[in-house]
Amino acid sequence: MSRMSTIWKAAAAAALLSIASQSAYAQSSSLTSAQAMAALQAVQAYAKNDGSNPSLAVIDRDGNTVLLLKGNGAAPHNIGLAQRKAFTANQFKMRSIDWRDRTMPGKPNADERNTPNAVPLGGGVPIMVGNDVVGAVGVSGTRGGQEGDTAGAQAGADAAAAAAAQRPLAQN
Amino acid sequence: MQKLINTLVLGVAGIFVVSAAFAIVQQMVKTMTLQSLSANDISVDQALLVAQGAINECKKDSPALTVAVVDHEGGVRFLIRGDGASPEAVENARKKAYTARTFRASTSSWMERTAMDALDDKGKRIDLYGQRMLENIIAQKGGLPIIWHGDAIGGVGVSGSKGGEETDEGCAKAGVEAIADQLF
Repeated sequence: MSRMSTIWKAAAAAALLSIASQSAYAQSSSLTSAQAMAALQAVQAYAKNDGSNPSLAVIDRDGNTVLLLKGNGAAPHNIGLAQRKAFTANQFKMRSIDWRDRTMPGKPNADERNTPNAVPLGGGVPIMVGNDVVGAVGVSGTRGGQEGDTAGAQAGADAAAAAAAQRPLAQN
Repeated sequence: MQKLINTLVLGVAGIFVVSAAFAIVQQMVKTMTLQSLSANDISVDQALLVAQGAINECKKDSPALTVAVVDHEGGVRFLIRGDGASPEAVENARKKAYTARTFRASTSSWMERTAMDALDDKGKRIDLYGQRMLENIIAQKGGLPIIWHGDAIGGVGVSGSKGGEETDEGCAKAGVEAIADQLF
C-alpha cells in the first residue's frame, strides 16, 4: 500500500512539473525580417535571370506584412496581387497555383474561391519550416506568367526557410 | 590589295554613319511626337539603399525598426517590418513616408506648419490643419521626402526606433543620406 502511494506521489509530482514547465501563454514561431530579406534576394536573383522586375510580398503566419516591394515599372495591380497570392498560400497552406486547380468551378472545393482576399492565381508559395507553415511569399510580374511567378516565389520561400534553419525564428 | 582594304574600311564606316543617323532621327521623331507625361521615380535599388541606411543607423539601439519607402506616386516601393514590431508599425511607417512625399517636407516641419495655432512670418494664422484630415496622412515625426532636382521622387518613413517619434526622423535622415550621392 505504501508502495502504491509512493507511485501516486511520483505521478502527481510529474504531472505538476509538466504543467509548471509549460507556459501559460500560447506560443508560435514567426517569420523574421532577416528571412524576408533572404526571400527578397532569391526572388531578385530569379528576376535577374528572367529579365523581369517583379513585385513581391512576404507575410508571416498571422498574415502580417513583413516585406513589400514594388518592381521598377510595375503595373498598378502587381503589388496588391503579390499580397493576395501570399495570403492565399498562407491561408490554405499550399501553393496558390495548386489551390487554383483544386478550386476550379465544378470541383468540390470550388466554394473556397469565395474567401475574401484569396486569389486563384499562381505565384504564392508557403514558407515551410519542417511541416509548419510560418508565412508565405507572393510574386507578381515575372515573364513566365503564373508558372514563372510560382517559380520565383518558390525560390524566395526556399531561401526564407533556409535562413530559418540557420537562425531560430523570433518568438512572438 | 590596299584599295580593297580602303573600300572595306569606308564601307564599314559608312554603315556606322548611316545607322547612327537613323537612330538620331528616330529619337528626334520620338521626342517631337511624345505627348504623354514622363516623371522621375525612385528605383528599387535606391529604395533598398535608403532602407538599409536607416536600419544601419539605428539597429544598435533599435533592432526592430520598420521602414517604408514610397515612390513618386506615394505607393509603397519597399517596406520591411521589424521583428516583433507593434501591430500598427507598418501602417505608421507607410503613412509617414506618404505624408512627407505628398507635402514635400519632413513630417516634423509639416506638423509645425499645420498645427492649429501655427503662425506665418507676419504673425497671421496659417490654418492648414485641414491637411491633417486627408487620407493616408499621419501627424507623426519620422517621415522625410526624397527630392531629386526639385522633384519629390519618393519618401521614407521610419517607425519603432527606441526613442519613439523623436528618434525616428534621425533614422530616416540616414536613409536619405545613403543615396545622397545620387540626389545631387
